[in-house]
Amino acid sequence: MKIIVQTEQLTKSFKKQHAVDGINLTIREGEIYGFLGPNGAGKTTTIRMLLGLMKPSTGNINLFGKSLARNKLEILRQVGSLVENPSYYPHLTAYENLKVVAQIVGAPLNRISEVLELVRLQEAAHRKVKGFSLGMKQRLGIATALLHNPKLLILDEPTNGLDPSGIIEIRELIKSLPQKYGMTVLISSHLLSEIDQIATSVGVVSHGKLIYQDSIVNMRKLASSAIHLQCNKPQEAVTALKQLSLDAHIEAGQLVLPNCPESLVAEAVRLLVHRGHDIYRVQEHKQSLEQIFLDMTGGVSL
Amino acid sequence: MMLSSLLRSEWVKIKGKGLWLLSMLGPIGVVGLTMVNYGVRKDYLLAQSDDDWAYYLDGILPLTAMALVLGIAILTSLLASIEGHTNAWKLWLALPVRRSTVYMSKYIIATALLLSSSIVLTLGTVIYGMTLGLGDDIPWLSILQYGFYPWLSAQAIISLHLWSAVVSSNQGFTVSLGVIGVMISFISPYVPDWVIWKWPFLIIEGSSSWSSIAVAAGISALLLLVGLLHFSRKDVA
Repeated sequence: MKIIVQTEQLTKSFKKQHAVDGINLTIREGEIYGFLGPNGAGKTTTIRMLLGLMKPSTGNINLFGKSLARNKLEILRQVGSLVENPSYYPHLTAYENLKVVAQIVGAPLNRISEVLELVRLQEAAHRKVKGFSLGMKQRLGIATALLHNPKLLILDEPTNGLDPSGIIEIRELIKSLPQKYGMTVLISSHLLSEIDQIATSVGVVSHGKLIYQDSIVNMRKLASSAIHLQCNKPQEAVTALKQLSLDAHIEAGQLVLPNCPESLVAEAVRLLVHRGHDIYRVQEHKQSLEQIFLDMTGGVSL
Repeated sequence: MMLSSLLRSEWVKIKGKGLWLLSMLGPIGVVGLTMVNYGVRKDYLLAQSDDDWAYYLDGILPLTAMALVLGIAILTSLLASIEGHTNAWKLWLALPVRRSTVYMSKYIIATALLLSSSIVLTLGTVIYGMTLGLGDDIPWLSILQYGFYPWLSAQAIISLHLWSAVVSSNQGFTVSLGVIGVMISFISPYVPDWVIWKWPFLIIEGSSSWSSIAVAAGISALLLLVGLLHFSRKDVA
């Protein structure tokens, strides 16, 4: 698949502090890439650099296979964005807000009604934006980003300030974009559950560093469960369980059976009891994704 | 092409921000004050000089220059606040536009609004002058000079204030700069000619004027260029 976003050792420093530290992002065509990290981890700074709003201290950015530094205008014509809290002109109506942008990106005026309908703002089209709720402003921001049918959509915390039904609505809209319009989406969030429901790939950033990058499927595999079994002779139990082709091992004096289906748990217990082992306790230990990322990000919750 | 689209968008954006009102208020204020002056003591004022038109125009000039300096400070600040208010710079500059063109569009809007003020002022000056009966020999050239020289010589001030308003995230510095400008314009007779806020007070006549105009134009262009380069290289937070 074609690579749409590629950064090489992307770094941004403010007064000797690395806000973004050697990030190598790879986003492929048609992906919804979840950019996950606690607040202040460097997500927004990275996004600002991808949009040419900030210059990297070191490192390179390639979008659509071209250097952003050298082909900024050509690249930005194919990018739609919503950075942090939505930006808008409060004294103008929703329609006028979209019109001023449409004139710049060369979108036809009938496209304005289309995107307003897409984010369900058509009824508020001719109201001044200063009277909008945060959720409506956020949806207007998404409409602005979609105006010129961009190939790459960069959304920074797009569900901030939305109510639950609004979050579901926007999530479904974003999910449909790659199939319907062939867009590639980069979406940032500090909420793991949000990314888990929407993304096809994930990058986790903490303290300015990219600490994990893979498909969502592989990420979910990290959240594994294991059966911990406390018995009187664990070493002998391991040997006995080989009979059931179970890959058991000992951890802190306990017998551990990773990824063991329920039927095999029953069989294992039966076998051990049969061989005269005393079993004191059988427990399931499940490491949640939350816990995994908590460990990755050094205790800062996602 | 890009500049014309940007200008079209900028005209939409200034709607309802009071910029037009402000641009009209300046010349109306200047003519209004002159009307009060002549309304109260017309006979005294007409007795001051043989050339009533010249005396009339000389009386208007300091008011024009002061209004212009004050107007530029407010106008540039308002123009920058269109984006600054909700930090829409990150929306505007992530669009496929050159930052230098964005900066030029702001400059053109500011200078065009002030040009419209000058036109209204010139018309007001002529019309009120005629009703005063200052003589049939209307000095058209002088009227045009007094109407548009201040605007021309204020380009450096526009460039400086626009630069400050657009690149600073809080408007404290810009407002302070505006206050300095207005204070200087109050004491302009005691300020050396090189201070840019004095320039709108100077009507340059005679053959030696070309060198002064060239220097002023050069400094204006330099200030515009420095502001433009600073804006183009600045990180948008």
